[in-house]
Order: sequence, then structure tokens, then C-alpha cells
Amino acid sequence: MKELMGLAKLFINESWGISQFIYNKNHNQKAFFKQLGLMVLLVVALFPSFIMYISFMGILYAGLSFVGQTSSFLVLGFVMTTLLIIVFGIMQVLSEFYFSKNVEELIPLPLAPEKIILGKFISILASEYIFTLIAYLPVLVIYGIGQGMGILYALLCLPVLLSLPLIPLALLTALFMLIMKGSSIKGRQDVIQMLFSVLFVAAILGLQFYFSSTLNMSTDGDMQQILNSMLNNNEILLNRIGYLVPTSLLVAWGLNVMTPMSLVWIILLLVVAVASLWILVQVGKRFYLNSLASGSVARKSKALSADQRKKKLLRRRSKALAIFFMDMQNMLRTPIFLFNNVSVVIIVPLCLLLGLTFSGIDQSDLSELQSFYQTMPFVVTYILIGIFIFFGATAATTATSFSREGKASWMTRVIPVSTSDQIIGRTLSALLIQGLGMIFTVAVVFYIMPLKLETIVMALLLGLVGSMPILLLGLFVDASRPLIN
Amino acid sequence: MLKIENLSKAYGDKKIKAVDNISLEVKPGEIFGFMGPNGAGKTTTIKMIVGLLKADSGKITINGIDNQKNIMEAKKQFSYVPDTPVLFDKIKAIEYLKFMADVYGVSVQDRERVFEEYTDLFEIKKAINDPIGSFSHGMKQKLALVGALLHDPELFILDEPMVGLDPKSSFELKRIMRERCDQGKSVFFSTHVLEVAEKLCDRIAIIKNGQIIEVGSMDQLRAQAGSQESLEEIFLELTES
Repeated sequence: MKELMGLAKLFINESWGISQFIYNKNHNQKAFFKQLGLMVLLVVALFPSFIMYISFMGILYAGLSFVGQTSSFLVLGFVMTTLLIIVFGIMQVLSEFYFSKNVEELIPLPLAPEKIILGKFISILASEYIFTLIAYLPVLVIYGIGQGMGILYALLCLPVLLSLPLIPLALLTALFMLIMKGSSIKGRQDVIQMLFSVLFVAAILGLQFYFSSTLNMSTDGDMQQILNSMLNNNEILLNRIGYLVPTSLLVAWGLNVMTPMSLVWIILLLVVAVASLWILVQVGKRFYLNSLASGSVARKSKALSADQRKKKLLRRRSKALAIFFMDMQNMLRTPIFLFNNVSVVIIVPLCLLLGLTFSGIDQSDLSELQSFYQTMPFVVTYILIGIFIFFGATAATTATSFSREGKASWMTRVIPVSTSDQIIGRTLSALLIQGLGMIFTVAVVFYIMPLKLETIVMALLLGLVGSMPILLLGLFVDASRPLIN
Repeated sequence: MLKIENLSKAYGDKKIKAVDNISLEVKPGEIFGFMGPNGAGKTTTIKMIVGLLKADSGKITINGIDNQKNIMEAKKQFSYVPDTPVLFDKIKAIEYLKFMADVYGVSVQDRERVFEEYTDLFEIKKAINDPIGSFSHGMKQKLALVGALLHDPELFILDEPMVGLDPKSSFELKRIMRERCDQGKSVFFSTHVLEVAEKLCDRIAIIKNGQIIEVGSMDQLRAQAGSQESLEEIFLELTES
């Protein structure tokens, strides 16, 4: 146990940078106050959102009690917190178990595999408990006050808070270990990271379209029927939401009303938590360290002939173009950079297209839209310019240009390339990606209503010019403070 | 070729002086070894020479050019290979070399000649189309060396260059260093391998706690020590006193 806690403390220290923080306090006051200032700023910046969240939950509770559905309040909060833990936990699990290099130092040490696995898992849990306290504790408090609950309720809330992040994270980690054991994806963690990012965006889009199409299909009669059933049966919402995360039903049965059975349900929740942990340890022992010890598969390309080498090497480029090509190659071949920088210019036009398709725009609306464009084409031009500038602001291609180089950024500072060449090269990559988004958007809009050539030219030109200040500001900020770790 | 005057650098709250008012000069045609215990200030000094760190005070002149006033011109005079050459992992080796040739403005004829010569010498030609991420530490070191030699720099700056190199590559690197100096160019490198420094260097500087405690040729160092000791013995005497 002592060894396990020692390992967990080591991992937490490493991921939170506690030792560095203490070192800075004693030896580098400037860095210390910068870190401290950032922490305070974060708390201050998030505090209004936290207050808003609490107010929102309060209003939700009041709304649910109005329709006699307070029984679903705890479940709603539990499901929401669990889903958020899963979403944010994906990257944390991958980082701690697969991207972190410390496991290479730990494997040769005489440590039991389960201790390494649990130590890492506890370090992830530590930050997830903070999130759980922020997200779910207000829900428990609001419900407790609203229902006039006593000390037993407060005591039973503790195991609920303890098991909330543990169950989904343990099962998620075990699932990752099973996925990662396949030899075909070893050494391709970046691809997996991108795959999950795409799945995440796809899930959000899917849910969005599912809800909007469901709402579109609901008639007034349907809504009336739903309201009636809610008023007649105070567990209808609970049953509808609860199935998303089955353990939430245990929480509802355990905490909604204090009965002798409450204790049984909460004990059952703890049993599920222990079982999840056991599954994680068993899967981890069997697959995690073995998959790491078998090494990664390095990709090899075909050897080049003398002619091919000549062709590749001897074409001279200007310094600005050399920077542009290096930046593009680095971005396009690193899945996470590709996703972060290119996804927005694909997702926005795609959302536009899907939104229009799903909402089933009818012919009369379309004709109205087209006649509006005929009478006031400049409005459409301005909207397009706005979308194009939005691409420039959100793609973050220039704002991460130096940071993307990571620890290889020493080269940029050593090579004799002037500031102007650096700016041209790096802004070119951003403009190219932005241009891609512009073409997609114009194509989608063209699908709804044929645009005049002057609208297209004007929107493209002013969109590019308008986004230049944002692009350059992003580049300047990143050059001043690149995040190279 | 390289002149350092009253150079200082402190970290943190300026309490820890990593480099404390050092001065030295590397002449044309000279291999200059820079040695010292761990944390003595070698890498900090090198990083200030190549522009990766800003000096708190002092002046660095490379081939007559002030590296703080005329940064671009100064950068053209040297090439640098760090102790751990972290390169762009997703880029293929040939793309990296092309990039280096482009940014240093190497002519088409020169890039072909130098490429063929050094990729053969360091035996990396077969892997030239592979991503750098698939290279071992030694292979990355060799690639960084070829990239640094492409533009035929006047001053070759290396931080622990022998670490990770196989014996043949290590031998070839030492030969290249000597050849360059015979052509009137200079090499400035840090090392912990005292035998290499003793055999290869024309002059040596020993740094301890950020201060240069000894500079000179092997003969001068021996004369100072008053005996025919090896560099290892002289080094230990100086750094442990």
C-alpha cells in the first residue's frame, strides 16, 4: 500500500508539476508568481461560470419539481458529469498510460504491474475528483436542501462522489488497454488520438442532429402527451435518462428517498466500483505492460534511387517557401495538428450542409432566400466574409505555428531565416488552410443559391485580408510564448 | 573566428550565475575543446553563442560579426549540433536536408556533392527516405551532423558530438573536424571524453562554476600543472580543487 501511494504521489507530482512549483517558490520568484497568478486568474475567470452553473441547476431543480420530476435531478447531474468525465478522460488516460515516457523507466524496476497501473490510475482520478466536486457536489447539495434531507443523505453522498469518476474511468482505461494491444496500432498513438477526436466531434454533431430532427418531428400533440405522462408518472424522465448510465439508477434509488434500501443500493454502487477497478487491474496486468514491452513498430519508407534523391534534393526554394513546406509537412503528418488546424474549415461547411439538409428547407423558403440575395447581395457577401474571418480566428494555424515544432524549435532559432521570411512562410500555411475552408463554404452556399462572381471574389478577397490581422497577432503571440513541451 | 568577451548569464532570480564573466578566443584553423564538470556552464555558453539564449552581459563575435547586432549574418557563419538533436519527427531525412540546404542558400552543385559525400560517410543514405522519428539517437546525431555540414560553415559548434555515435562515425567526425581546421575553418566543441580532447584539440578551456579556470594547449596546461600529466589528471586536479 505504501509503495502504491508513493507511486501515485510521484505521478501526481509529475503531472501537476508540484516539485517545480515549490522549486520556483524558493529559487525563481518570477516563474512562481507567474504560475500562482495563472492559477488565481483561472479560479477568478471560472468563478462566474460556476455561480451560473449553480443557478442553472437550481432553476432546473425548480423546473423539475414543477412537473413532478425531481426524481430525475440526481440522475441528470450524474449522467452529465459521467459523460464529461469520459470525454475529458479519454485524453488523460491516453496521456498517462500511453504517451507518458515514465513507464519506460518503471518497467525495469521491481514493481508489481498492478501497482504501476493503479498508481497511474489514481493520478488521473485525483484531477477527476476535483472536477466531480465542482460538477456534482452542487447537484447533491441542491437536491438535499430542496428535499430537506438529513445526515444519512450527506453520509451516503460520500461513496457516490468517490465512485462517480472511478467507474467510467476504470472501464474506459481497460477498454483502451484492450484496443491498444492490437499490434497494428502500436506506435500510432497519434492516429488513435485523432480518431477519438473525430469520434468526439462526430458524436456531438450526431447528438445535435438527433435532437434537432426529433424536435422537428414532434408535433404539438406529442408534446402535450409527454407533459401529461410526466405529470402522471414522476419517474418517467428518470427511466428515460437513467439507461444512458445504468449506475445513475443506483444513485437515484439510493438517494432520492431515504429508506432502509438506500444503504443497499449505495453498497451495490461501491461493489460496481470495486469490480471496475478489479477489471482494470486484470486487463492491465494481462495486456498493458505486455503491449508496451513488445515495442512500437517504426514505419519505414522505400529506399530512394540516385535519380529520385537528386530530384528531391536539387530543387531550390526560397527561405520563405522552405519554412512554408516544413510547416505544412509537419502539420499534415501529425494527426493531432491536422485535426486542430484543419477540422474547423471542414466542420463548419459540413454543419452548414447537414443543417440545411436535415432541417428540410422547403422550396418557398429557398425562393425567398434567393430573392433576398438578388435584392441585397452585399448582406450575403458580409456574412461570407464573417465566416471566412471566423476560419482565420479559430483554425489557430499561426497561433500554434512555433508551438507545433515542440522541442525541435531550437532549429528555428538557429537557422539564418529573417523574421519576414518566417512570417511569410508560416502565414502561407494558414492562408492555404483558410482557403480550403472558403472553397468548401462557397461550394455549399452555391448549392443553395447560385452566387454571383463578384460576391465570390469580394468575399474571398476581403475574407483573406480581414483575417490577416488575426493571423499575424496569433503568430506574434506564439513567437513570444511558444508552448514547446 | 569566435571571440567571447566578459560573457555572463544567470538563471532564476539572478542568484545562480551559470556563466560568470568569461572571455575566450577561438582562432581560425583551430579545434577548441570546451570542458567542465556537469552544470559548469558549457551548454549555457554554447547556447548563447548560437543565439538560443540571450546573454545578460558581454559580447560574442563570430567571424568578426556581433551575434547580437547582426544576427542573420552571424547565423550564416556557423552551424550547430546540440547534445540531443531533437529534429522534426514526422519529416523524412531527405526533406530535412533539403530544408537545411534551402535556408542556408546552398547551391545546387554544392548540395549534391556534400549530400553524397556525407550521407555515404555516415552511412545514412539507405534511410534517407524514412521519417526522422524512426531513427535511433545515433542516426539522428548523424543526420544533424550532415545537415550542419551542408553549407560548409566557417565555425562548427558541437555540444557533446561523440555521444551516441558508433566508432566509425566518431572516427569520421574527428577526421572531418581536423580537415576543416586545415582549411582555415574552426571547430568549437564541448566534451566529457578527455582522451578525445587531448588528442584532437589545439587548445582547451576548462570551465567550473561558470568561470574559466584554465585555457591553453596541452603543453601549456602541462606546464601550468608542472608535470607530464594526462589531461584527465590535470582536469581532475583543477576541477576538484
